Amino acid sequence: MDASVLLALRDPAGIPFYPVVFQALYILTWALHAAFVLLALGSMGLSLYGTFKQKDDQRWKILTPHLIQTGKISVSLLIVLGVAPLLFTQVIYDPNWYTTNTLSGMWIFIFIYALVIGYMMFYWFYYANKAKDGGGKMIGMISFAILVFAGILMHNFAVTSIMPNEWMNMYAPNGVVDNSGWTFNIDIIRLAFMVSLSLPVVGIFLQNYSRFVSTREDFSKDLIDYTASLGTKIANIGLLISAVLFVLWMYTIGYLMHPVIIATIAGVLVLLYMVMTNKNSYITTGVLVVVALLISGVRELIRYDLMIDLGYNIYDYPVNFEIPTITMFLLTFLIMGGVGVAYLLTMAWKVGKSQGVFDGSKDKAVNTLGNYTLGIMSLWMVVFFGWGMTILFSNIL
Amino acid sequence: MVISIKGENMDIIGQFPLFYFPEYGSAWMMGVTGTIHILASHTSVGAAMLFAFLAYKAYKEDRTDLYPYMKKYGMFLLIFSYVIGSITGPGIWYTATAASPRGISALIHNFVWVWATEWVFFVYEVIGVFALVYFMNKIDKKTHLKLTFTFALASVGTLALIIGIISFMMWPGTEAYYTTGSASDAFFGTNTFPHMFLRVGFMIMMSGVIGLVISSAMKKENEALSNELSRKMGFVSLIGGFVTMFFFMWYMGTLPENAHMVFSFTKDTVIQNRIILAILFSLYFLIAIIKPKLINVPIASTMIAVILIAGLWPGEKLRESMRKPYVAGQYIYSNQIISRDVPGKGIKSELPIIAEKGLLQVNPFVPENLKVITADNKLEAGKLLARMSCSNCHSLETTGKFRPLKERLAGMDKEAIKAILYAAGSGAMPYMPSLQLPEHEYDALAEYLASQKY
Repeated sequence: MDASVLLALRDPAGIPFYPVVFQALYILTWALHAAFVLLALGSMGLSLYGTFKQKDDQRWKILTPHLIQTGKISVSLLIVLGVAPLLFTQVIYDPNWYTTNTLSGMWIFIFIYALVIGYMMFYWFYYANKAKDGGGKMIGMISFAILVFAGILMHNFAVTSIMPNEWMNMYAPNGVVDNSGWTFNIDIIRLAFMVSLSLPVVGIFLQNYSRFVSTREDFSKDLIDYTASLGTKIANIGLLISAVLFVLWMYTIGYLMHPVIIATIAGVLVLLYMVMTNKNSYITTGVLVVVALLISGVRELIRYDLMIDLGYNIYDYPVNFEIPTITMFLLTFLIMGGVGVAYLLTMAWKVGKSQGVFDGSKDKAVNTLGNYTLGIMSLWMVVFFGWGMTILFSNIL
Repeated sequence: MVISIKGENMDIIGQFPLFYFPEYGSAWMMGVTGTIHILASHTSVGAAMLFAFLAYKAYKEDRTDLYPYMKKYGMFLLIFSYVIGSITGPGIWYTATAASPRGISALIHNFVWVWATEWVFFVYEVIGVFALVYFMNKIDKKTHLKLTFTFALASVGTLALIIGIISFMMWPGTEAYYTTGSASDAFFGTNTFPHMFLRVGFMIMMSGVIGLVISSAMKKENEALSNELSRKMGFVSLIGGFVTMFFFMWYMGTLPENAHMVFSFTKDTVIQNRIILAILFSLYFLIAIIKPKLINVPIASTMIAVILIAGLWPGEKLRESMRKPYVAGQYIYSNQIISRDVPGKGIKSELPIIAEKGLLQVNPFVPENLKVITADNKLEAGKLLARMSCSNCHSLETTGKFRPLKERLAGMDKEAIKAILYAAGSGAMPYMPSLQLPEHEYDALAEYLASQKY
């Protein structure tokens, strides 16, 4: 695709801040989103396996509903976390994103409803399994299949968006315009690699699970040991598969010797060592986050290079600075988001560690964070209305 | 200031491929997703406020019997509102992008930081809703109460942040935005606050309407409590309904002229329908207050369906119609053409270049064989022109369903159609885009439309 077309497809309003900031936020939030995609995929898949074992195996009787719950919450989180990279990508790569959306318009529509139906069915599975050990197998499998299908569709959008040279052929093959929105593209190695990552993610999750419940007296040692060793096994095998697929993917696109790729491979090896020894899975999770960021960076690197070759450089995107709203975002993100999420996670951690009722009002951290969150949110509302009224009055009076 | 980049071609405008759904057009897909989302999202914000109210009551009056209701309500909230709401929210975005990529692009490039801020609240909400429901029996009541307050504030925060963006879609409200290009001027227009409180009212009403399903379902377990809660839900809904009506009135007064022009076509029917709905729902809420035991799950569920089908769907369709011919900020037409200068952002109207060169020439996704109209490709070019310029609002087939052209152009020959195209193009119909095409494009378009024999 001609550079002049790609440049013309940029929004004439320009972007409201330095492009590199959007790029960095994209890499960061995609990594977070992907982490929960992989956890959802892994925990849902494993919970389905658990439904076959939970009737006769005491350990799976406890583990299966916990995995279902993990899958359920992960889907919610992957959705909310997915909104952010979606937002940032279309600020700087709008030509790619909007072209893909229109070329795959039907799939876009199907994607949304596949997600709604798949997720609703997963709730159904959750209730069916709650009612009876081993219950809801079929519903669970259908739900899982639908959600995986939605994932494949998202893969299609990502792949189509980095095929600018093919867009014209997709839209008007042999000069005949096709407005149907059925464009579908798949990159098997890339997809297989992404899917394979769900194994190490769920493996490390199981190590964390084992470590977390080890302080609880109501969890048997047998279960704690079993989940740790199961996690190690799954993560080891998964990491090896992922590593092979990653090397293969990088080799086919000619990126194998790139420093970011070497750093990613090194990260995977470190991860493999840490998973095998399982000394402290919480630290392993930290390394996993770093590797996730690197993988997100690799994706962006591929896209950035590809677009540069076509004459489209995101760093040349015209900037129209927009100071008040970025100030609002940064303050809300760092202060309210930081304190608020810390409040919820601290509470969740402490509830999970407690047997019986956790008295948050007597817990200094939870109590203080709660008060701050409430105060910051109230203040936020006051500022919002004050700001709005000031703008409105000055514009209409 | 917009910097000129090497390689830029001034003869191309940034139009994307066109996605067209046969018989209906692609905009209805957004309408369907949008209507479902509005039901779910308004319910969820309303429910968050109601939840805080109930938690406060339960804590202050030491009403432990209210917690099981809250738990049930919370589960419903979680499954119904958050599952559907959180997927259809981005879903509107996706489907709207497929139908109106430049409309969404305009919103994104003006409001990305507002959306990013909303996302922070959204993250808090999604984690918070799980904590709220699953920790109900696992944390002390005081902490739980505090959690419900923060959750309600976060939910209202998401509304506060999206409302200015939706209002901007209708219009920026004042002229300030066009000269400053500032997101604040675009966000806080004259209709932002009335629009916000109109929705707050509807949210409160919806929280009561959903609450009635759950309270009436509890009859078997505890009839006295069920009746007490149904009565409360009746009051909540009635107050919400009143707030909705009050701000609706104010909101209508803040809309631009073109919106009123479109509204005037259906004004009588719309008002009549709204009066019927207001009476029906007032009666329903009064029954809930006076004779709560008459309310049962089938009735309460039917009323939700009535709101969805008779209230939200036509309401959303009307709001979409009233924006015509624009899709965002009164500077982008529904057919993805920038129709005015926005000096504050360095945006230039694309109408002059289209009038000079024609749509086929300036759209980069028109294949080479259709760029120049010939006797051989005239009908094919006309068809593409019809899709590019008309299909966002009108279905084109002779069996089309969505504002079909067959109703507008029935029995007309080429010259009659051309006369209509000239009139619309020169701005004679305020709800149609003022879009002048070169004569050869008018001709090809009219020929194609005439060939359909509507």
